[in-house]
Amino acid sequence: MNIGLDVGSTTAKIVHMETGEIIFSEVVPSHRWRELIDDGQDEKRIISTGYFRKKVPHFTAITEITAASLGARYHDPEAQVIIDIGGQDTKVIDLRSNTFIINDKCSAGTGAFLELAARYFDIPVDSLGDMHQRATKEVQINNTCGVFAISEMISQLVGGYTMEDVIYGLHQAFARRIAQMVPPADKVMLIGGTVQNTGIVDAVNAVLDSKIEVPIAPQLVNALGAALYRERSNSSR
Amino acid sequence: MKDTVGITALVPPELIYACGKRPLDVNNVVPGSSSSPASKLCAWTAVWRDMILSGELDIDSLVVVAGGDCHNALVDGQKAELSGKPTHYFFYPFDGDTDYFRSQLEKLSLFLGGVQDDGIITRITDLKSRGKALDEQRVNDRARASDVFSALISFSDLAGDLDAFERTLDSIPEADVEYTSRVALIGVPPIYPDFHEVAEGFGLHIVYDELPYEFIRLGGCDLDSLARNYTKYSFAGPIETRVWFIQDELRQRRVDGVIHYTQFACHHTLEDEIFRQHLDYPILTVQGDLPRPSSEQLKLRLEAFAEMLEVMP
Repeated sequence: MNIGLDVGSTTAKIVHMETGEIIFSEVVPSHRWRELIDDGQDEKRIISTGYFRKKVPHFTAITEITAASLGARYHDPEAQVIIDIGGQDTKVIDLRSNTFIINDKCSAGTGAFLELAARYFDIPVDSLGDMHQRATKEVQINNTCGVFAISEMISQLVGGYTMEDVIYGLHQAFARRIAQMVPPADKVMLIGGTVQNTGIVDAVNAVLDSKIEVPIAPQLVNALGAALYRERSNSSR
Repeated sequence: MKDTVGITALVPPELIYACGKRPLDVNNVVPGSSSSPASKLCAWTAVWRDMILSGELDIDSLVVVAGGDCHNALVDGQKAELSGKPTHYFFYPFDGDTDYFRSQLEKLSLFLGGVQDDGIITRITDLKSRGKALDEQRVNDRARASDVFSALISFSDLAGDLDAFERTLDSIPEADVEYTSRVALIGVPPIYPDFHEVAEGFGLHIVYDELPYEFIRLGGCDLDSLARNYTKYSFAGPIETRVWFIQDELRQRRVDGVIHYTQFACHHTLEDEIFRQHLDYPILTVQGDLPRPSSEQLKLRLEAFAEMLEVMP
């Protein structure tokens, strides 16, 4: 059995794989990552990834970029571009050219941006998708800066738009920010916990001129990729 | 003690030495600085400007490369001039006009007080030949890229002291380099002092440093031949010529990937999409701002790039 352990900025994910099949997976908040590992479990089976990859027990640590690439190809060998929307950054990986870009200097287009909005409305971040679906009007929000987008959002509320309409506009702004990083492609795969927000998926779909794929359990793709890295190493021996 | 002439980019050091002066590439002190300039676009120029204005950088005069390389240097150089520092503005021709460039060398020579000892150029040529050999040594995996980079980057001023510089070259050890991928580093040099060591730590062997390699251009014993040589300085010319030159080097050096270093607020950053269009290699673009040890964000990118080159088909 091979174990992929992805300890990111917000959540920790684990995937157990045996002969190419996922036999177990679990997600917990990052600070509880120890719950994912049995005491005495053989460290030699763990391939770690994510922000804390070098701080948790591991046989090998790989970056999220490599893990995402392997995990996405498991779901779709024809995948061309991956958008990995994380809590603190967004990564766009072009599998055709082995190139990637990371946005980690600006909160717009990251999970942190959505958390900021949810906190303002005092609602759980995972209810943003439902709110988005209930919008009746499209609100235009500045797409360049997370902080100014929040103040613009407040202005739109003052102007009489509903919370649902404003959240819809935020998701559109979020998607436009991400779209600036994405090269032209037929197929784009969205991964990361943020992608469970259906509003984000709809908005990215509307903004990009590509076929958008979302794998089952998009938040597990990097942990899966880490486990596959080991499978790949084993098979090459 | 010879007068020290600050230079803000490549200015033929052969001519400065021949005029009896000691060149000092003001950029070479920047990576070792920990300052945070209050007024800045690009930190490279802002740091040396502040060091000149505060007297921390002790130079007698300044030659600003005001055409053909750095646009911020033109303004920051004028600030140095306004503070009373004797300053000369030096221009590369975009169209490669050697007559024009010869006139630039004549004006520079006048500013520096005229040629006194052109015999010194032969010694500089010998040292540059050693630079070429050192570059070849790392291409053949017989020298660490970090050692070679630290020597090549000093060929813009030859450390201001030919004897000391020769001793530095003597001290660079031969080494069997182990690595996972061969990469080229293009663009302005990284402002991070440990960039090459960090890349080595991830198994990346940098076999080409674009700008430092330009510094070891060989040839030229008088104004005519120096003019012919330095008008080929690719950083100052059209991007198309520079791309051809880089393509050729990448092929000869058998690289697996390219790292394009860009500096925050530097106009060269805009060249990134041209390189991505014309260089058929995996490309990693990284950006630096203030002179500091390599950030975790940079390390993540280098590590991921190394993995991609090694793991991905």
